[in-house]
Amino acid sequence: MNFLTLATKNLLRRRGRTLLTVLGVAIAITVLFSLLSLNSGYEKELNKEMGGLGVHILAVPKGCPYEAASLILHGGVIPKYLTATDLKNVSGIDGIELATPMLMQQFIRQDAKTGKDVPHVVFGIKIDEVRELKPWWKVQGRFFTDNGTNVMLVGRGLADKENLTVGSMLPAGPFKNFTIIGILDRTGDQDDQFHFVPLAEAQRVFNKQGMLTTIAVKVKDLTQIEKISEEMEKIPDIQVVTMTQIMGTIMNLAGSARSLLLTVIAIALIISAFGIINTLLMSVNERTREFGMMKAIGASGLDIGKMVLAETVFITLAGGLIGTAAAIVGSSLIESFVKGMLPYAPRGTMVSLSPELIGFALAFSVALGLICGLYPAFISSRLSPMEAIRGGFE
Amino acid sequence: MSGIIEARNLVKTYRRGREEIHALKNVDFGVDEGEFVSIIGPSGSGKTALLNVLGCLDTPSSGSLRLNGIETCGLKERELVKVRRDNIGFVFQQFYLMPTLTARENIELPLLFSRKDCNKNRIDEVLQMVGLADRGDHLPGQLSGGEMQRVAIGRALINDPKIILADEPTGNLDSATSQMIFELFRELNRKGLTLVIVTHNLELARQAQKMYTLRDGQIVGCEDLECVVGVEVRKMSDANS
Repeated sequence: MNFLTLATKNLLRRRGRTLLTVLGVAIAITVLFSLLSLNSGYEKELNKEMGGLGVHILAVPKGCPYEAASLILHGGVIPKYLTATDLKNVSGIDGIELATPMLMQQFIRQDAKTGKDVPHVVFGIKIDEVRELKPWWKVQGRFFTDNGTNVMLVGRGLADKENLTVGSMLPAGPFKNFTIIGILDRTGDQDDQFHFVPLAEAQRVFNKQGMLTTIAVKVKDLTQIEKISEEMEKIPDIQVVTMTQIMGTIMNLAGSARSLLLTVIAIALIISAFGIINTLLMSVNERTREFGMMKAIGASGLDIGKMVLAETVFITLAGGLIGTAAAIVGSSLIESFVKGMLPYAPRGTMVSLSPELIGFALAFSVALGLICGLYPAFISSRLSPMEAIRGGFE
Repeated sequence: MSGIIEARNLVKTYRRGREEIHALKNVDFGVDEGEFVSIIGPSGSGKTALLNVLGCLDTPSSGSLRLNGIETCGLKERELVKVRRDNIGFVFQQFYLMPTLTARENIELPLLFSRKDCNKNRIDEVLQMVGLADRGDHLPGQLSGGEMQRVAIGRALINDPKIILADEPTGNLDSATSQMIFELFRELNRKGLTLVIVTHNLELARQAQKMYTLRDGQIVGCEDLECVVGVEVRKMSDANS
């Protein structure tokens, strides 16, 4: 027998109370662990998504740039347009490697299976320029040419969802007679869900001749982004959004949402810490005589304190283990909950479970136990054996 | 007076609110090695206070106490723990067994605190000594009162103390069981152990070698029972009222 088995047996004596305390800790640790794993996953996904754009600066019609950027990232439609003149002006700025026009539109198509109206996003693009921006684009089938008609590329995610194959045609909607000549390999970002047609075709189908929604810019030297975007700002009608801005803004917004969540968790942890301390003080109080007996048979105050501390760490460590396990099992559930609370949620999995985080959660629960157990342990170690046995005689 | 317990001028004063309680008033008390001593006295006479001071569970307000040649007054709690651990085994009226530990584990408990190796044979030996050789794996809840007290006595014995201090060890037991526990004490005494037993039970108290009577924090009587066996001492019976 050692102190640990003694502590365990003591805890098992009060099963119900022990269980409830463990559960309290477990819930706090679950939330903490999920949030921390979300934190690291979120940044990773966001970076990946931004990098996937292959674009350094976006020129959009004047308006709220953040709204526009968010719309663009998710394939929303901006109700204002840029023109070919704007494109010419942008292209003329020094230091720009490539400025490519895009027209992004949304159309509704009835789903063949469910019969529901589903929004689709289509990009009118200049294929060679976009391929320069996104050199990782690979296609099953072939790419279209800029003067091709009734031809379309679709993302792999969309193709899989809609059962589209190379050579098939869209069954309905404004692109009814368009042939799918290529399916883009999976990129892991938004492109997987989009339709792509030659720019001229998009302008024709939506009757937006000469109109653009976006000019995507790639610069020669990344350090020049600020200077170039300043130049671009001088063109009337143009709103400039750099990717670093978008990233920064989203991270800021996400940051404040996260700090709010962290506050909630901190409060939850503090409450559960007081709960643990209270439970322990109660049980120390109940066991005064027992501690007195232990002192009478040779235990020192330190022994008693150690035992109480061991019991606390047992409780919190068990809570930590259960909490971490619950977080791992329920990560998808937690993810969908937290995604709803964040201003911008990337598409991929945000909860990334790393061994370091698991280690941290467990270390944290042990630390919680040590902190919570300290005071009760101190109190119990200070009980004089005499007073302890007499049960509070003054 | 020279012995394993030498107490001189022991004074113990408690405060309860504004009231001062003089639990012990200048008590001189000595026990020789191998002696079997009982202490009787009415409730509130200071029996338990004396026992607690003797066992270093409580410090006297003044006076001196030598245990096995060691002056205990003025020792720090940490040093008192060691004196207690090495010299004294305690037996309580309420047994104070750990309900989740088996008889064997309860007996083993002091070894955990004294950092001594747990020797299985030693525990078997103690179980044998207290007559529980076949009950070692039972939990306290599965034992009778007498058996529980035997476990408690075993626990007091495991560290091989010089002295056993027992506070009303038979207070929760019926008379037949009480008698059996006393037989056990006498047997331990025959093996050389020093025993000091506080009790209400005059009949049992008179089975010791010496019987002290305590009243109002003072020793008012001492009988050498081995010399006066069979002689009825009337004044003791009113002390037991």
